[in-house]
Amino acid sequence: MANFRRFRPDDLNKLSKCNLDPLTETYELSFYLQYYAKWPSLFQVAEDENGNIIGYIMGKLESSPDVYKFSEHYLPWHAHITAVTVAPEARRLGIGKLLTEQLEAAGDAANAWFVDLFVRKTNYKAIKFYESMGYSIFRVVKDYYGDHSTDPTQSSEDAYDMRKPLKRDVKKEHIRSDGEKHEVDPTDVW
Amino acid sequence: MAYNKYRYGPPALKNSVDMQLQSAFSDGNWSTVVRLAAKRFATFKDPYYEAIKVSTEAQLQGTAEKCAVLVHVDELVKSKKTPDIDTLDLYEWACQDFIGYEVDFAETFGPLRARWVKANASSPMAASCLQGCLEQWDLVSAQQIAATLDKTYANTTDRRYMFWNITLTFLLSISPQCTEASRKVYSLLTVRQLQKAADITESSDKLEKTDRGLLTEEEVCLYYRVLLSHGTKEEFLARLKSPKLGAISQLKQGHKLLFCECLDALETWGEWDTIYELCRDALKLGLDGSSTPFFVCDLRIWKKFVAAATEATNTDAALDEVQDVLKQFIELKDTATPMYKKNISLALLETTFRLPSTTINPNHENTALSPKVIQIGLFLDQYYERFAAYDDVKGYVAELGYEEAKTFLEDVLPRITGEDPTKAQQIIIKALECRLRYTLTTCPQTLSPHPTVVEGTDQGKPFQCRVCSNLAKSPCERCLKKLIIDAANAYSQITSDKELLADIPKLDRDPRLDLALVMGNSLLKLSGLRPGLSNFAQSLWQDVQPNILLQALLLLDTQLKVTPNDNGLRLLLVQLYLLFGCASYAHTLWVPLDVKRTIQDALSPLFFDRISSISPGLFQGIRPLMEPLRAYYSQSLRDPSPVRIWDAFSSGSYTSILGMAEYDKKLRTSCTLVMTLVEERRATRLFGGKLDVDIDDHILATDILEDTTLVHETDYGSFPNLESANGPPIQEYIRLGPGPSNERSHLSFLAEQYLDLLTYTPPKDYKPSKPAEAAARDKAYALETLTRIHTSLTDFLHKPATPKLLTPAETNYHTALSLLSALVLTALSLPKSEASVPKLVSQTTQSLKTTLTTLRTGLLSPRSAVPVTTQQAVSSLCDMHSFASVRDIAVAVKLSAAFVLSHHEKETARDKSGKSGLHREVVAEMKALESAASKTLADAKGHVGVLKGVMNESGWLDRLLDVVLGEEDKQLDQLTEKVSEVVDGRGGAEEWAGKVVDSWREGVKGWGLVRFE
Repeated sequence: MANFRRFRPDDLNKLSKCNLDPLTETYELSFYLQYYAKWPSLFQVAEDENGNIIGYIMGKLESSPDVYKFSEHYLPWHAHITAVTVAPEARRLGIGKLLTEQLEAAGDAANAWFVDLFVRKTNYKAIKFYESMGYSIFRVVKDYYGDHSTDPTQSSEDAYDMRKPLKRDVKKEHIRSDGEKHEVDPTDVW
Repeated sequence: MAYNKYRYGPPALKNSVDMQLQSAFSDGNWSTVVRLAAKRFATFKDPYYEAIKVSTEAQLQGTAEKCAVLVHVDELVKSKKTPDIDTLDLYEWACQDFIGYEVDFAETFGPLRARWVKANASSPMAASCLQGCLEQWDLVSAQQIAATLDKTYANTTDRRYMFWNITLTFLLSISPQCTEASRKVYSLLTVRQLQKAADITESSDKLEKTDRGLLTEEEVCLYYRVLLSHGTKEEFLARLKSPKLGAISQLKQGHKLLFCECLDALETWGEWDTIYELCRDALKLGLDGSSTPFFVCDLRIWKKFVAAATEATNTDAALDEVQDVLKQFIELKDTATPMYKKNISLALLETTFRLPSTTINPNHENTALSPKVIQIGLFLDQYYERFAAYDDVKGYVAELGYEEAKTFLEDVLPRITGEDPTKAQQIIIKALECRLRYTLTTCPQTLSPHPTVVEGTDQGKPFQCRVCSNLAKSPCERCLKKLIIDAANAYSQITSDKELLADIPKLDRDPRLDLALVMGNSLLKLSGLRPGLSNFAQSLWQDVQPNILLQALLLLDTQLKVTPNDNGLRLLLVQLYLLFGCASYAHTLWVPLDVKRTIQDALSPLFFDRISSISPGLFQGIRPLMEPLRAYYSQSLRDPSPVRIWDAFSSGSYTSILGMAEYDKKLRTSCTLVMTLVEERRATRLFGGKLDVDIDDHILATDILEDTTLVHETDYGSFPNLESANGPPIQEYIRLGPGPSNERSHLSFLAEQYLDLLTYTPPKDYKPSKPAEAAARDKAYALETLTRIHTSLTDFLHKPATPKLLTPAETNYHTALSLLSALVLTALSLPKSEASVPKLVSQTTQSLKTTLTTLRTGLLSPRSAVPVTTQQAVSSLCDMHSFASVRDIAVAVKLSAAFVLSHHEKETARDKSGKSGLHREVVAEMKALESAASKTLADAKGHVGVLKGVMNESGWLDRLLDVVLGEEDKQLDQLTEKVSEVVDGRGGAEEWAGKVVDSWREGVKGWGLVRFE
């Protein structure tokens, strides 16, 4: 039912199965094309038989700017998951897991220390999914999101910065067991 | 389109510039900067200060000061000297508003930057010159810079320079920016450069970064893309099998892109043997440990593998091998993720269906319970509860023979749940069965041909249904009715069973949705709705059974309340309500879909196409209706280059560069973009508003030329399509008119151009010093434009495909415009002194008058016919698109006549000799046309008044419900009874009827604001 391949711009005309789902954000064209331009192998899609996109992952490889080298929040060379989504009809088949594993493999191939991602603190389903894949909370980014997914009376929501160590991090130096206790401001996240 | 590199501020001045001048410059104190720079230039004689002065003057208000920089740029270009890079930056900043208009970057700054790089190739600024040219999409200068950089940095570890050069040479070879001859040279050059690089790779034991071979996946794929475009098939095939650059070799390195891309090319060429070998070898990599086991275990690969085996020279051996490979994967299945497990199961199904029947059933035993049927059963055994189960098997079930399908539905499917199924499992199977039965009604194997003429009378039923044995049309109405009844019974079973209802949230998919879709689709078919009905029918209402069509709408709408998050159902309803003239309600359903930003290009036609002709009132909201779409295009097409193109260059993503360039071109020539421009303009005209610019001058229309092929990419992927591949998909049934097309977009664009010409008024303060000359120029321009528009309109209208791409209303409108443009052209060109007027004039005017009369009588209800019946009123409400064309044609006729007559009056007033002006007969014909158009417009206005009156009458709710569910006291037919049951009776339908009637009223109210003059 699914084929995995690299994203190509024409896929933007086949996103309805994923992006009409309220849980999936639709970005400006430049956002998608930035990932396609800079990290094409980390922008992978799953398509159905008719070419409709039923899942995709957008990721990147980077480190914090050098100017923050001596900051406690400096992030060394790592892979980052910007977005991962699966269409409702294609869920429970492990597509999200496969896409994530592909990105992790790319991170390993690029000798990155870890993979990280941000997730809403109330997105329990996603958190559980990432934990099942070996991710753990590294820190809490206070008021990272400008709205709240479940409580309309609140104007912001915290994010968990979750990480999974890659092969390079043999000593597991880049993860924490008590990440929930480490709170940072959005300004500390680059 | 204007590009503004300096939208965030001017360039920095050289460090050598003194503080006083620096701060005046950074403060934007332009008068002071001009004065100081002039002083410094006088003192130091450094031309840089003059450049500061000239560039800063361009920031002042005066036209002469603003334009002085243009002269300096021109001098710089002509001088052939190497310019100063800081001066170039200043001049480019000063010219920012002129670039794309008075200043052609490719003729000025591009060559200047290329010239500078040639002289300063090792400067770090060289790459930013390349970036500057790329952002202006000046490929010629960019390629020159890249070639210089490649030469300078040959054999260094930064391999990008070499591939920038190659990529840009390739882009030039497919670009209209250079001549055909140059394109040939560039294509040869690109192929040679890459062949050489490929040879280096093949012959090197270990390629170093400094070698000029192909090293990365991007470099290799660029080579194949170029080969595909400019190379030979033989070389492509040979290289594809090579030990280092071949597809399998790349797969071994974890590079899947080439493998995925090459299969399409091979299929186009019919190279099935190569496809077969590649798929086999690729799949075996997973088995022998050369890659992760399921690296290429995509269904697409399996399908190609099986298809290639059936095409192979030795089919039997090839199919044996396919089965052998598949068997090995089946053995590994337990270690696979659910996705790959499913892919393997589907691969097994695919293989079973593609194997010759002599292979899978050599003795022809039990043809009904065939291996195909068994295999579908086995697949569903694992997956029947999953969301996509129906989509997974639909195509295969549609391929079954009649006996097989019967056995599958009657014997296999009911047993899938085992001996003791839960209620939920039973209902899932029932919903699946209903969907598959519906699909089978769209398959030819369920019908046998039958003589349609019995005893000299055509029965209109050319088939005998093999399911119910009745004489039938396609699809069989009796089977559809039975399907509705069965689905309705199952639906009612769910709604009356608390236990089942409680189980629904735990299921992958709500079975009520599936049952409702079966009922809705069956009702649509029973109503007589068929593909393209709106393409040729005068009014939808007259060609369908309205009560059944409305039942479908009511039923599906009721379901949306139960499953509001189902986007497919929502999209279906949006289209149906548009078809039904309930645009404001369709809009209410459209908004929650939150179609925004990037997905608008592909999805917006589903709501906005033809919207101004259905319900112009929607454009009267607080927020401009199509503003998000316009904003999206303005943002995405702001610069002449593809968005983020430099990111792809700097990252060495060469295939991305090609992909982005292609996508950008498509977006600039998108039918949705044309739709956005046209619909907004049409709405503005409907309300008598003023348009800011002619459509030609619109910033988003820069790339839309008459020979441009406009692209349509509407995304129908989310539509719940129960139709088999034997017939058109569901959207073809329910869409108002044909989808977007190159031809329709061009015609609507030309129509706007024509109206722009007719409605042009010169600025009030325009007083030409030589009125005679100005009048002659204006006339020449009008004649030239009319000739062009008429020729293009006629060309597009006469294309063989065009009639199928337009609604009748659109055909009428564009035909009228074609006639009008020819008439106006003749009227203006004909000398007054001519003895007789060509027959063409009277023939054309007669034809137009007849058109107006025909449309009026055909569409407009007589003004005295108040009150009209529900049927008549609803018929009109469902056909506002055609009504809009009556108004549009009449307005175009009136404007054309006014244009000619105004020209005549101006000429007569200007030239008292009486020699100018138009022929007497032409003037008379035009006046007659104007009068006929005015009459039509008055009638059209009256028609809206009638509709308004009718819609304001009380009792609409009951009248509508009477049509849909029958009159209250009367006995209902079985079908209506079942629909009534599902929608909770008349009470349950009242809210829906209210929404429909309100939407019609709102639509008519909007038409009441339209100007008919």
